[in-house]
Amino acid sequence: MTWAFLLDQFAVQFGLWWVIWPAILLGIVVGILPGFSPQNTLIMLLPLTLAVKVEVALAFMIALYCANHLAGGIPAILVKIPGSGGAAATTLDGYPMTRKGQAQQALVLCFTASVFGGLITTLATLALLPWLSQLGLYLRSVEMVVVMLFGLTLIAVIAAKDMLKGLIAGFFGLLIGVIGTDHIYNTPRATLGFIELYDGVPLVPALIGLFAISEALVMVEEKLIVAKDGLERAAGARWAGTIEGLRMSLEHWWQIVWTSFVGLAIGIIPGAGASVAAFVAYQQSRLWSKHPELYGTGIPEGVIAPESANNGVKSGTLVPMMALGVPGGSTAAVMMIVLQYHGMVMGPRLFVTNPGIAYGVFVSMAVAYLFMVFTILPLARYMSRIVLIPTTYLAPVIVLVTIVAAFGERQYLFDMALALVFGVIGYIAHKTSYHVTAILIGIILGPVFEQYLVRSLRISEGDFSILFSSTLGNVLWVLLALSLALPAWRGYRQRKALAAEQLGDER
Amino acid sequence: MASPSGPSGGKAPLGADLVIPALALGFAVYFFFSIADLSWEAKANGVLIGAILVSLIAIQLVRVGVQVAKGRANLGFERLWAPRDALPKRMGLVLITIAFIVAIRWAGLTLSLFVALAAALYLMGVRKPVPLVAVPLAVAASAYLLFIAALDSDLPRGPVEQLLAALFQ
Repeated sequence: MTWAFLLDQFAVQFGLWWVIWPAILLGIVVGILPGFSPQNTLIMLLPLTLAVKVEVALAFMIALYCANHLAGGIPAILVKIPGSGGAAATTLDGYPMTRKGQAQQALVLCFTASVFGGLITTLATLALLPWLSQLGLYLRSVEMVVVMLFGLTLIAVIAAKDMLKGLIAGFFGLLIGVIGTDHIYNTPRATLGFIELYDGVPLVPALIGLFAISEALVMVEEKLIVAKDGLERAAGARWAGTIEGLRMSLEHWWQIVWTSFVGLAIGIIPGAGASVAAFVAYQQSRLWSKHPELYGTGIPEGVIAPESANNGVKSGTLVPMMALGVPGGSTAAVMMIVLQYHGMVMGPRLFVTNPGIAYGVFVSMAVAYLFMVFTILPLARYMSRIVLIPTTYLAPVIVLVTIVAAFGERQYLFDMALALVFGVIGYIAHKTSYHVTAILIGIILGPVFEQYLVRSLRISEGDFSILFSSTLGNVLWVLLALSLALPAWRGYRQRKALAAEQLGDER
Repeated sequence: MASPSGPSGGKAPLGADLVIPALALGFAVYFFFSIADLSWEAKANGVLIGAILVSLIAIQLVRVGVQVAKGRANLGFERLWAPRDALPKRMGLVLITIAFIVAIRWAGLTLSLFVALAAALYLMGVRKPVPLVAVPLAVAASAYLLFIAALDSDLPRGPVEQLLAALFQ
């Protein structure tokens, strides 16, 4: 990567302003809606992203993705309802600031922390990418088998509240991902007699069903996304004191920097995601603060930490996708599907075969952040009113429009029905706390996992011990075992402590 | 274990927790049958994943069984249906979507989407005629413009698409 190449990439991305700006606006709108994630928006607009050139699709997806994360903080601050899981930690100090009459300052803090946190980590990723991308070259089929299982396990352990349920969901997804003909002899497996499944389970209908449709089926339970008291607050939001908010941001510039790097580090781990990063950054910020007792009472640091980490995650999430072909989260998974549709093969080879795409992703992210600086501040106040749309309208539109979008990938009506089936599975998973992200990541990783596993086993002529034949692989196995054992051990200790406490109370 | 207490005598209704494992187990068994006669390369992955999945399901069954045996839980399915008043809307939405998928073959995208969305909005409680017509009209028109006019996708064409094609050709 040379400076000339990089400048050229920036020029290309700035030339796509006509895509980036609408994507930012759209991302802000849907980001404010709780439960309406960037992946659902991308899914709804999938036919559009599949029809345009890959560079244009990429710029659109990235800008929407970044804006969406940023906007999740708006309802979190104004009405204590996070627009996304990543903004949940923002409510801890953002909402108390609103209650103290500092809603506007809190919003400005949220925007500046998000934009600059995201920009800093994107530029850092861009600088480190040549080394990060080399990571994939050290991983052969044996190690990749463990990496795939590791990613899936982390999602099960971190994203799902119940590890066992997360693991069941993940392995269920992996098995669904094996549907179709095998890699060596092309013999069909578990296709239920449908010729449409010979190529495997199409990812777009799976995504639509598991996320959009299942979410809409849950949404019908409430008349409005916001609660009654939140509704009044949403209607009463005011803009005043923007300069004051900017001054506060400048005072805490160092916190924006270091908490965004916390986000970047967590984002690189597949499955960790924005929610975990935001809470970890908030916790770390309080740990190192001179006045930890003020956290939760409405202080700027309490808004900055989760928001800059939440946005720092994004470039990190894309690193495993670009360098290893393992999506770091559900939005990255959608992007990966679109890029694969355009013929891009994720992994270290991408940096050689398509450097414009491999680096362009991060350049596009940096440019999107620069555009956002000028877009978000004047718009946020008005956009916060979108939470007032009743679910009476939202749920049917989401279900029917996304069902139509399911047709887009392969142009089979069968895929619409398949999306509905996944929607029902996703709904059951939602209701019973089996994490749909784990199922989805399993479906995505299923064919890739099989490819690496069979490749390894063919080398060893069917001997499974080859999976434990490399040093790096064995280190990863140990980490995998630890990632499963430690949360289980911690849970056991907590239960034991709770039981002892209850016994003490009874005495 | 995430076991929210249910309405039935303070016991957590964990029957619903077994639906996904039951689906997964059924699928795993079917998968094993479907690969029984194949070469080891075609089987290896499915057997490995399937075996781990079945083991995890067995642990979950034991876990739920212990909770039920200790009297802390029952095998109720309340969590799947709750809240009950939303059930007709949810079921209706699924049925309308099935009808939409069936009807789109002969009614075409625009007309079937308009009718399905209007029906879904009515089901959700929208009674005012203006939004009941305007929202489906706007969505169907947008879908037509995006999928048929702009992207020229293979989505089925019906009377509306044929009429519009005749008008604009």
